Amino acid sequence: MNSALFRFWFCLALTLLLCPSANAGDIVVITNSGIAVSPDEVRDIYTGEKQFSGSTQLVPVDNAALQEDFLSAFMQMDTVKYNRLWTKKLFRDGLAQPAMKPGDAAVSAYVRRTAGAIGYVSTVPPGVKIIQIKSVQ
Amino acid sequence: MANPQHAGTQCPGRRSMAGLPGALIIGSMLILALPALAATDSERIDELQRQVKALQNEIPQMDSGMHHSPSGEGLPLHGFMDVGFVLNTREYPKAAKTGFYMGALSLYLSPHFGDNVKGMVEPLFEVTPQGDWEVDVERLQIGYTFNDAATVWAGRFHTPYGYWNTAFHHGAQMQTSVFRPRFLDFEDKGGILPAHTVGLLSTGKFGTDSGRFSYDAYVGNGPMIIGGNTALQTLGTMDPGNSGDSDHSALAGVNAGYEFSGGMNGLRLAVHAMSGNIDTETEMPAMHYETGLNVTGGSAAYITNDWEVMGEYFRFNNKDKSGTSVTPGGTHNSRAGYLQAGRIYHDLTPYIRLEKALLNQHDIYFSSQENGQSYSRQALGLRYYLNPNTALKLELLNSRFLPDAARAALAYRSLHVQYSIGF
Repeated sequence: MNSALFRFWFCLALTLLLCPSANAGDIVVITNSGIAVSPDEVRDIYTGEKQFSGSTQLVPVDNAALQEDFLSAFMQMDTVKYNRLWTKKLFRDGLAQPAMKPGDAAVSAYVRRTAGAIGYVSTVPPGVKIIQIKSVQ
Repeated sequence: MANPQHAGTQCPGRRSMAGLPGALIIGSMLILALPALAATDSERIDELQRQVKALQNEIPQMDSGMHHSPSGEGLPLHGFMDVGFVLNTREYPKAAKTGFYMGALSLYLSPHFGDNVKGMVEPLFEVTPQGDWEVDVERLQIGYTFNDAATVWAGRFHTPYGYWNTAFHHGAQMQTSVFRPRFLDFEDKGGILPAHTVGLLSTGKFGTDSGRFSYDAYVGNGPMIIGGNTALQTLGTMDPGNSGDSDHSALAGVNAGYEFSGGMNGLRLAVHAMSGNIDTETEMPAMHYETGLNVTGGSAAYITNDWEVMGEYFRFNNKDKSGTSVTPGGTHNSRAGYLQAGRIYHDLTPYIRLEKALLNQHDIYFSSQENGQSYSRQALGLRYYLNPNTALKLELLNSRFLPDAARAALAYRSLHVQYSIGF
């Protein structure tokens, strides 16, 4: 009985340790489970340089609650420079700036249901693929 | 006396037995009622499922008939607009008139039709030197994106040579300075290069460990230089051939570059080449000339949080194909270039630009065009961002034109103020 209880707690601890989770102050980049994206490609996707994963068009979305921290941590730029970059992209290549979602719930729901979608949130939601976690503290 | 233990064992049994009919009645009612309740919930769930399925079927049907932006939020309208003020030390046709002026209103839309098909439309409203309103369709192109390495566009597009023509074009608010380098002016302003091409354009990028290769390759209608009139002493302008290739002579070119990443992030180096036959037609006297246009060169741009540095070089090796120049059948060499550097202090960017064009006047390609005169120009300016979408610029220009057979020497200085927005 004691042995079974020990195995239960051990497995639970191991699962919690191995399962990716976000701490307070983390930003988690997530994608729809149907695409393969590497952490190195996140910047290129959010600057419009990478538009496809295989034959699937990538659809990045911004998170209004985390955008400033995301741009600083992942893109090394501020919102002004980011917006100017996209103005040029739209004018030159006809690419539209990522849509802005109000928060984690909207980003998670959009990424889960949209093929090719990629976003960033502060807590790991179910049903999506985790690409990268960075602390912004 | 009754045994309390005995009594104790009997009493609960009695109570239980006494409640049994009630429990049986309630149980029977529940057994009878549950299927009815379950049936009601099941029906409701089935009905909801049917409604969800119906809505799921309707959404793609509605969506398939609509264009949409990649953001999924309709089709936004974007544009640039500018107004300004000019002060010249000399009144001369080549210099802008002194006074306030309306610049241009450039609108652009980029509808997307599914993952691969997209369009680009850019109407431009501007005022001519005569003060009339003019509407041009700067770009009208439809593209198909195969992947990151290949997008093919058809229609009228910005000719991808050097850096400036595709990076800024009519986006006055985006560019650091008030004006483009003079030799990169638009065709209808007398520019010596075809700023627009009507044809096919392929563009794409390939990522590497240290950066990214980019390319643009295009082929299109050969432009013509028209409107020159010796009797009226007017020079010609370049017509990109929107409705077709009048002289059946294609223009083709390539612009290949490398964008660095890592420690050299922000640096882009590129080489470009362009070739085609350009016909020149003049009125009074009616003459026809043919020039083999051959342009090669390179460009560099270094754009960071602190610096905006860019430069372009064009070398012309044009061949006289009509045998009417001083050296019939010969080639004429010319060159043009500029170097511009700006230092960014948050919202303020002081900048300087040096530009020079040495254009062979034996080459009918230059001698027949308004901006075909050799010149040098220095610009000193200041750009201030009032907010992310609004720029106020102050620019001092010193221009000096060299004399040639048809044009006199000229030197003047000018002050330009420009107020521009992007939306």
